[in-house]
Amino acid sequence: MNLLKTGALLFATTSLLLYSCSGSNPVEVKGLAQQTGNLKTAPDFTLKDANGSTVKLSDYRGKVVLLNFWATWCGPCKIEIPWFMEFEKQYKDQGLEVLGIAMDDDGWAAVKPYIAQHKMNYRVVVGDDAVANLYGGIDSLPTTFVINREGKVVDTHVGLIGKDDYITEIKGLLSGANKNAMLRNSGSPAAALLSLGAIR
Amino acid sequence: MNIATPQTLSVKRGQTATQTLDISLRSGFHVNSDKPKDEFLIPIKLTWMSGPLAAKQITYPKPEDVKVGEDTLSVFTGKFTIETKFLAPPQAQAGIATMQGKLRYQACDSRSCKRPATVEVKVPVSIQ
Repeated sequence: MNLLKTGALLFATTSLLLYSCSGSNPVEVKGLAQQTGNLKTAPDFTLKDANGSTVKLSDYRGKVVLLNFWATWCGPCKIEIPWFMEFEKQYKDQGLEVLGIAMDDDGWAAVKPYIAQHKMNYRVVVGDDAVANLYGGIDSLPTTFVINREGKVVDTHVGLIGKDDYITEIKGLLSGANKNAMLRNSGSPAAALLSLGAIR
Repeated sequence: MNIATPQTLSVKRGQTATQTLDISLRSGFHVNSDKPKDEFLIPIKLTWMSGPLAAKQITYPKPEDVKVGEDTLSVFTGKFTIETKFLAPPQAQAGIATMQGKLRYQACDSRSCKRPATVEVKVPVSIQ
């Protein structure tokens, strides 16, 4: 890892600088949140889903997307899957799409039985290193990128986070709230800096 | 995962000797045992390539149960050893050689998992 760490650190550092410039109390988080110009566009890719249909990320523009890198052998991913299924059901009409990218080396041979066994209701594609590298290299699973309706990555969660954290983010983005959830992210380097008191 | 450099294994022709692979994991991490309870999980697996010795038996330690979410996993944590019983065939050539193997594993902590990895293992052997 790599590029993900480097990218995340750069992102965190940028946020740190922005935060330092914008003030030192929590109210300023909103100020920082308005710096949407600093958000990066989610790299586009084209992959096939379990039915062989083409999935192109940029086709989801206008939707809020949870782009979840996972694998069938990943225990923490298994914990999140029922949440994502619930989100897909509850928020799809409001514009949420959950898209799983399975990183299994065995590809569909492993992923299709898993989808069937767990009755996954959201779209899944099989990823590869090329797609992972677009997102800075994926060393740990789950890694979830939260993408807003403009196709910008507003948050990155490396590892399992709380279900409620996702719900808060989803609701905020679906309602059009212009917020930067990254600094509340328990899994992000920026949050780590926050918790260490490096950002105040 | 850290694997201690294996000691030279001395074995007489026609006899067996046991090699111990000492492994340690970072605190908080686990790897699946050789017999995970879920078909989708990736077991730890030590394999040996053909060489001057024949791997007759590989013995994994007793796993422990760890609860992750609603699942109980069969895992190894902390420091553990994997033993391999090698046989030196009677016709083996005396001298120094190397046995090469591969250890495949997949590690997680309570929040995330690392992608599966395979590391090479080399054991110097002295055949007498």
